[in-house]
Amino acid sequence: MLSLTRRRFLQGSAVTAGALAAHRWLFGGLETLARADPLAQGPPVEDMFPTTCWIGKQDCGMLARRIDGRVVKFEGHPGNPRNAGTLCPKGQAQIVSIYDPNRVKTPLVRTNAKGQKGEFRPTSWDEAITMIADQVNEVRARNPKLVLWQKGRSKAKDFYDDAFVKSIGCSKLGHGAYCSDAGYRALEYTIGLHGVQHPDFQNVDYLLAWGWNITNAGGNKFCWLTWPRQMVVARERGMKIVHIDPRLRSAGPFADKWLPIKPGTDLALALALCHELVNQGYVDTEYLTNYTNGPHLVGEDGLFLTETVGEGDEAEQVPIVWSASADGPVRADQASQAKLDGTYEIDGATYRTAYQAFTEHLAQYDPDWAEVVCGLDAQQIRQVAREFGEHARIGSTTVVDGVQIPYRPVSIMSYHMAQQELGFQALRAMTYVAMLVGAVGAVGGMFSDFEWKIHKNYAAFEELTVGDPPYDYMLNKSKYFPINTGFPGVVAKVMLDPERYEVEELPEVCILHMVNPVAAFPGQAEIMASYEKFRFVAAITPWLSETADYYADVVLPAATIEKYEGVISASDGILDAKTLRLPPMEPLFESRGEIDIYLDLTEAIGTLFGDDGYLAVVNSELKLEGEFALPLDRKPTPREIFDRWARSQGLEGGIEYFERNGVWVKGLIPPEKRYGYAADPPFGGALHRIYGASLLAAQRQMQSKGADEIYWRDYTALPTWRAPTMESSPAEYDLYLISYHMIEHKQSRTGMVPLLNELAPHQRVDMCPRTARRIGVAEGDEVWVESHNAVTAETRRVKTVVALTEGIRPDTVAMPHHYGLWSVPESSDRGPTPNAIYPTGEGYMANTADQSFHVKVRVYPANGGDEA
Amino acid sequence: MTKYAMVVDLNRCQGCRACMEACKVENNTAEGVFWMHVFRFETGEFPDTRQSYLPRPCMHCDNAPCVKVCPVGARYKREDGLVLTDFERCIGCRYCELACPYGVNYFNWRKPADSYFLDWGDTDIQAATGGAIPPYRNPDLDEPQGAERRMTAGGGHHKGVMEKCTFCVHRVEKGMLPACVTTCPVAALRFGDVEDAASPVSKFLREHEHFRLLEETGTEPSVFYVGGNPPGSETRQIETIEVGV
Repeated sequence: MLSLTRRRFLQGSAVTAGALAAHRWLFGGLETLARADPLAQGPPVEDMFPTTCWIGKQDCGMLARRIDGRVVKFEGHPGNPRNAGTLCPKGQAQIVSIYDPNRVKTPLVRTNAKGQKGEFRPTSWDEAITMIADQVNEVRARNPKLVLWQKGRSKAKDFYDDAFVKSIGCSKLGHGAYCSDAGYRALEYTIGLHGVQHPDFQNVDYLLAWGWNITNAGGNKFCWLTWPRQMVVARERGMKIVHIDPRLRSAGPFADKWLPIKPGTDLALALALCHELVNQGYVDTEYLTNYTNGPHLVGEDGLFLTETVGEGDEAEQVPIVWSASADGPVRADQASQAKLDGTYEIDGATYRTAYQAFTEHLAQYDPDWAEVVCGLDAQQIRQVAREFGEHARIGSTTVVDGVQIPYRPVSIMSYHMAQQELGFQALRAMTYVAMLVGAVGAVGGMFSDFEWKIHKNYAAFEELTVGDPPYDYMLNKSKYFPINTGFPGVVAKVMLDPERYEVEELPEVCILHMVNPVAAFPGQAEIMASYEKFRFVAAITPWLSETADYYADVVLPAATIEKYEGVISASDGILDAKTLRLPPMEPLFESRGEIDIYLDLTEAIGTLFGDDGYLAVVNSELKLEGEFALPLDRKPTPREIFDRWARSQGLEGGIEYFERNGVWVKGLIPPEKRYGYAADPPFGGALHRIYGASLLAAQRQMQSKGADEIYWRDYTALPTWRAPTMESSPAEYDLYLISYHMIEHKQSRTGMVPLLNELAPHQRVDMCPRTARRIGVAEGDEVWVESHNAVTAETRRVKTVVALTEGIRPDTVAMPHHYGLWSVPESSDRGPTPNAIYPTGEGYMANTADQSFHVKVRVYPANGGDEA
Repeated sequence: MTKYAMVVDLNRCQGCRACMEACKVENNTAEGVFWMHVFRFETGEFPDTRQSYLPRPCMHCDNAPCVKVCPVGARYKREDGLVLTDFERCIGCRYCELACPYGVNYFNWRKPADSYFLDWGDTDIQAATGGAIPPYRNPDLDEPQGAERRMTAGGGHHKGVMEKCTFCVHRVEKGMLPACVTTCPVAALRFGDVEDAASPVSKFLREHEHFRLLEETGTEPSVFYVGGNPPGSETRQIETIEVGV
């Protein structure tokens, strides 16, 4: 019976095989694209078409293998410096998502009330675009800022964040407050660079992997893939990794030493390491004297002693230092031998240098103190400080491409761990660890960007504006957040209680650009309630997001990879390179690329053409001038825009250069651009701030304007430890909850990819076996994880299953993000998101308006007696 | 004579499972089928915990137990080292599955076309893909391979037959690397000719200590591991994956 079935079956398959055997498959080399006539005879045409990954963060270069124009696989593009021919699991799996029958196929219009599972009717692009344009224009006529453009991911910032937002004059809100923006603000404040911390992997010998999820997540600027590629090579060279993280799994086998730190205490550890470096004499006085504000004299009021130079608008406050040669106070810009430390009398008042203030401040933070706060061993902290100091080789230099540069092969890699209540100050203090030994911008040292470009926030943070109410709904320049990342959690709280925050006007229309706040952002209940307040919500999304499902009036089906986007950096931090996303096939269903959507939308709004219109901003952002500039009275195609850009860059053939090659490698980033010491002027002329006088000045203004302590307490000139708010939850909330990113998923946007769900199918709570025994649960048991908000006393809980691991602190449990979706069949019923139990707002955010991903929880069996 | 082998550098493996995905897409394996499997392991107790990863493709043994037990010669060893399944000859007796100590064989209990994750009957998609199931179906898998012209690529995906890793025979025949090797972001997987002393894999093996899995069973695997240790009695699996054997 079996053989009969098999034979009949094989006959069927033999026919197929015979038909296909008529030719040999070629791999690459053919240039013809999709077959124009599907009925044409002859062998199928195969080619490899260059594009870039769509699913992740860093747009890895890819080659789409096409058979008669049908994409059958993505391979890594060998010429792209970021991924060099390789792809991560998501890059491989995204093939299935292109063809996903659950994508939004046509524009949709809501037919039922909001705040529940959506019912929609299909509509035409014309009707959908007109509906959005009418709503936008009605509000714009009164106040364009009451239109809110909100993004999750933006893969063509020039076209979306800049051209669309500027041309209609609306407000914009990003996702950085959930990512690593507390770190961005800290580094902009401290060294002037836009980015968080990363090493020079080609040269570093000793790395503090501080909350860096090496094996699962990205890092500064890059996705997961590029950093680990450089990390494994560095380890083969002998680099050692100190892994500072409550979970071991993030570093797995790559942790040479594991410091399982208590969640939320990174600031304390950083201060203790600084204490030890100073005590053990690992201090680069030359760097600190010449390139930081350490020598600036600080008065008893905590502010800098300055002298006014110039008059009127030209007037400038120049700091004073103590000159060793003159043995007296001298303007910093005129001193040749400033003293780094010491206390001095000037006109009967006492002044100490900023560095002196810093070292005196550190006295309270010794390793024995940190042992208790951080749950670590004091001797281990001392040892790490000593090893870091020794490996720093203070005073040494090396030659890179003919340029002599200080050599400090010690560094720090941190990223998302910045999102904690004390994140801004923790990242400042962690940067001091590198600064003390002179490692910032040195060969082998610590960086936060790939070129030494000073961000505009560096100057803006010199004097923080604390304005008077009424405030805008983002609370910019408010007494609450003088440094303000732009935080959807705060916008939600403002929308729910504008009087409390002294806000008069709230946003009315929201355009959701590839963002799913309801699933992706903590404080899920507040986030959901805030979307009820919008009069009109439009969502641009390839799948019906949970936010669109509950709150969108109109849904526009965005294409996935099958569209033009860019310009995209293909740099790996060593080579400078550019690429574009090119469509390997026509957009499936009625979906369209976002650039097409914004061209149509601005045309309907009436802001496409003209001198301040969308096209004019695109010209300005892409620097399209002269013959390359887009005419301001004709709607171009995305391909034409990128063709003009490519030609403006001198690339022969324009966009065909990318259609042929996929990537434009411009060459090595020279040492003068990479290394802060080698830049002209060194470090871009930005003096590194070891003392944050403007933070203290802001604190006093906040106090004078009546802000509560919870807002101003972390605006201190020097990073100052206090117990996080969560520590005041009742004792029965005896565990810390942290969350993390898995390599198999990307935020809330891969839950619908079945190939990835097969690898990582559902939510779990990671727990140490000894903790599980205490609670009375075992692997796979259902438990409630219940959080407590120490400010409001509110509790929230979710049900999930236990996953045991010895790679986590016994006082800590961890849950991955990525789950808690419901609007697409494939993504639903995979367990909750921790965002449902993370509080947002006061006590659970940094002073820079950045979400904290820490909360105290209790965990108890879901099927036991305790169902409280 | 060429003899292919794979070398897994456990000092580099990040346990990311990209190789498993590359294999799935390249070979169009159905739901629950992983010809390449990456284990995630843990030993010790907090805070003295150690974690490690172990990719495990088919071992393409020189003394392959699966080949010996195949009653119809469907499972066979090629001169270049590849152990393959001729799905036109396989009768689905599953002896190979029992004989293999590595657990790399998958039996197709169902028609694989019904197990490709989503409902591909969607007319809009069929119009765009010509009705291929899955829509990313690799046409190479329908081609006979090697001088012997046997149907071995993709291992069949037919109800009632066995399938397993082929070292991507259809790619190797074209001079390409297996899909898992190509995609590995950290170059932990290497593939090449171990008979050629000058080949990069031969050189790498000469320069590094290595082991093979269950070497004591005498299977003579063609997969070598550099760095790390074979899993022992203290090794626990974490982050397991459900497979549909």
